[in-house]
Amino acid sequence: MKRGDRTAVETVASAGLFRRDVLKFALAGSAMAAIGLRAPAVLANAKPFEGITLRGACFQHIFHTYIQKLLPEFEEQTGMKVEFDLQAFPVYNQRMDLELSTQGSSYDFCNITHSFSGRWISAGWLTPLNGFLDDPNKTAADFDPDDFVSGTQIAYIDAKKQVHGFAWEAGAMMMAASRFDLLDKEGIAMPTTLAELADVCKATHNKSGVAAFVADRLHHWNFPPYLMGFGGKVFRDPPGDLMPVLDSAESIEAAAYYAGLLSNYCPAGVLSYTDDQAMRNQLAGRANLRINAMSWLLPLAKSDDSRVKDTVRFALMPEGPKGSFPACNANAYGIPAGSRQKDAAWAFIQWATSKKTFERTALEMGGLATPRRSIIEDPRYKQALTINGQDIASMYLDVLERSGRDGYMAYRTVPVWPQAGEKINKAIERVASGQADAETSMKEAQAAAVEDIKKAGVKL
Amino acid sequence: MSTLDVESRHRKDVGLAGRAKAGTSPAFERQRQRFFWLLLAPVLAILAVVTLLPTLYLLVTSFTPLNLANPATAWDFSDPLVNYRTLLTDDRLHNSLWVQAKLSVVTVVLQLLFGLLVALLLNMRTPLMNALRTSFLVPMVLPPIVVAIIWKVLYSPDISPAWWLFQVLGWNVQTPITDAGWALTAIIVADTWEWFPFTMIIILAALAMMPEEQREAAEVDGASIWQLTWYITLPYLKGTLLVAGLFRLIDSIKTFPLIYILTDGGPGSVTEVSNYYIFVQSFSFSYIGYSAAVTMVLLAMIVVLSWIIIRAVSGGSNVEQ
Repeated sequence: MKRGDRTAVETVASAGLFRRDVLKFALAGSAMAAIGLRAPAVLANAKPFEGITLRGACFQHIFHTYIQKLLPEFEEQTGMKVEFDLQAFPVYNQRMDLELSTQGSSYDFCNITHSFSGRWISAGWLTPLNGFLDDPNKTAADFDPDDFVSGTQIAYIDAKKQVHGFAWEAGAMMMAASRFDLLDKEGIAMPTTLAELADVCKATHNKSGVAAFVADRLHHWNFPPYLMGFGGKVFRDPPGDLMPVLDSAESIEAAAYYAGLLSNYCPAGVLSYTDDQAMRNQLAGRANLRINAMSWLLPLAKSDDSRVKDTVRFALMPEGPKGSFPACNANAYGIPAGSRQKDAAWAFIQWATSKKTFERTALEMGGLATPRRSIIEDPRYKQALTINGQDIASMYLDVLERSGRDGYMAYRTVPVWPQAGEKINKAIERVASGQADAETSMKEAQAAAVEDIKKAGVKL
Repeated sequence: MSTLDVESRHRKDVGLAGRAKAGTSPAFERQRQRFFWLLLAPVLAILAVVTLLPTLYLLVTSFTPLNLANPATAWDFSDPLVNYRTLLTDDRLHNSLWVQAKLSVVTVVLQLLFGLLVALLLNMRTPLMNALRTSFLVPMVLPPIVVAIIWKVLYSPDISPAWWLFQVLGWNVQTPITDAGWALTAIIVADTWEWFPFTMIIILAALAMMPEEQREAAEVDGASIWQLTWYITLPYLKGTLLVAGLFRLIDSIKTFPLIYILTDGGPGSVTEVSNYYIFVQSFSFSYIGYSAAVTMVLLAMIVVLSWIIIRAVSGGSNVEQ
């Protein structure tokens, strides 16, 4: 069997042991068994990770439910036992930040949250995976790292081209109208520019008791695409120049626009909405348009709870005067620097992000936010993502490729992003709740961001 | 001779008499003291390890720019006062202290008032009041995160029964947690609901110990219920109210789950109290050195505040004696 014919699981099963050795020991074992002797322990190397318990930490996500369903097969093939420690998203990020900073060995693999990737990688808290990728005994030929769409991997590759993680989930920002029928009735198409979006909201707000727009309170995720659409930036030139530019004329204009959507066209209390609350409003048909990652929009068409399956329509995020910059992110599995079972951790990561596993999670189980091109281009995937006659798979791939090609998501993966992101959240809240106008609020955000970033020792 | 002189002489006499009675010598007394210290030593050692050492570490850390993303900063004492200089000009910290002051003062006053009112009602000892007594304790015994979720549901228009009613009545009511003018009030209401049972139960305990003679004498003299409360019950409860207030004041500075769940410190920073700000600095940005400095300042403020209140309480007791 040529190396190219081996699957990821087969490679995993023989990791750390040459095939010739396996055969040799297997023959010896058989011979000894034949003469009634007890087989030597090394025979257990057919399952090279027998007896190992691998511990991993991630935030709660449906993908991990799928993986846990598939785990018994992997455990049977490798002999290892895999335990997941799943926490709520904000809790996970804070705990893992602390855990990684201690370089401890509590976890053998972990999720690398997109917005923390720059910080964790630049601090040296994660293991580079190039050594594993270059070793044919540890990585199956069909693993094919180039199959991951560029936008999903860009955050996990450092300046020295070292890879620190592989995406298990990808997020591509697009727009969904849960009640397109209300637009249709007015003879309005899905908006393609931010100016049109404002007009559509104005024309349809509170028609049939439906709010025209809805968003969640994670403005640091939602707002930057508007900011860039108006020609603004978060940092002057990340990752080299981390001077925030939140007080530019473009930033102020974008903040006024976005806060206007929140305060004029959203349901009451939108500033406290979580992701889930915003989605529930759309599922129930109480709010119409939302711009967010595909994972939060697909349930409108796929969930049993959806009352808007027939009326939902999708579109790319509307363009601003300076272009379209739909956000893209991906969360990845990586190996903490302090892990003591790195071979086993890599075996798990390789299996969990293999084509075969994604085929099952995406095509059989319904986890469609997948990062591999081969899956996205699979006819079965396209079929699953053709909703009310629309080809959502193409939109999804377009956003993932665009962000990888143009690199405009770099602001989100720099080590001081949490500091700047939090200032954006506060600034938008101040404008949308009427505490300050956009100019005052963004200038305040700029000053606060500069102060906080300086504390990290960054020279501005 | 003053009262104090008499008392001091009395104590001295009693001490001498007691020692003579026991037949103790100074050597025996020293041995006894040593034995007591020996017994206390393990407890003191544990106390030092559990409380003093972390506080000391916090103090030491506050003189460094410790940032978890840069471990070398852990022992960087090149500019030990940098954090303390920064906090002097940190407007967001100053705002959080002001928010904290408003939250603490209003919640403590409201909790004392409600606690007193309900305790006086429950002290009537009717079967109905006895039954109600336990139910009033429920908010206090619930896990704080559950209390926060209850209020989150109540304040969320799309799922709140209150907003369902407002809708039926045709009222357009904004939710207070996203209204800059009302967000802090929303936290105050929830915090008062959660913690007034604490003051209530302390006051109820004091009322149970209250001697009946004075009340009975006043009743015989024809005092009304208001006069009884104003001239007898409240003066008797003065010390209890101060202690309950002190406990609640210190606890109010630790308010966290309500703010985390309901407002996340917002909108903007209108509900961001000092300990929430410390949390953001340490756990969102990993600025452990700076947050340690803010914590030390907050700790110093609490110690001073507690000392003032304890002095006030004990001063009141001396006056009564």
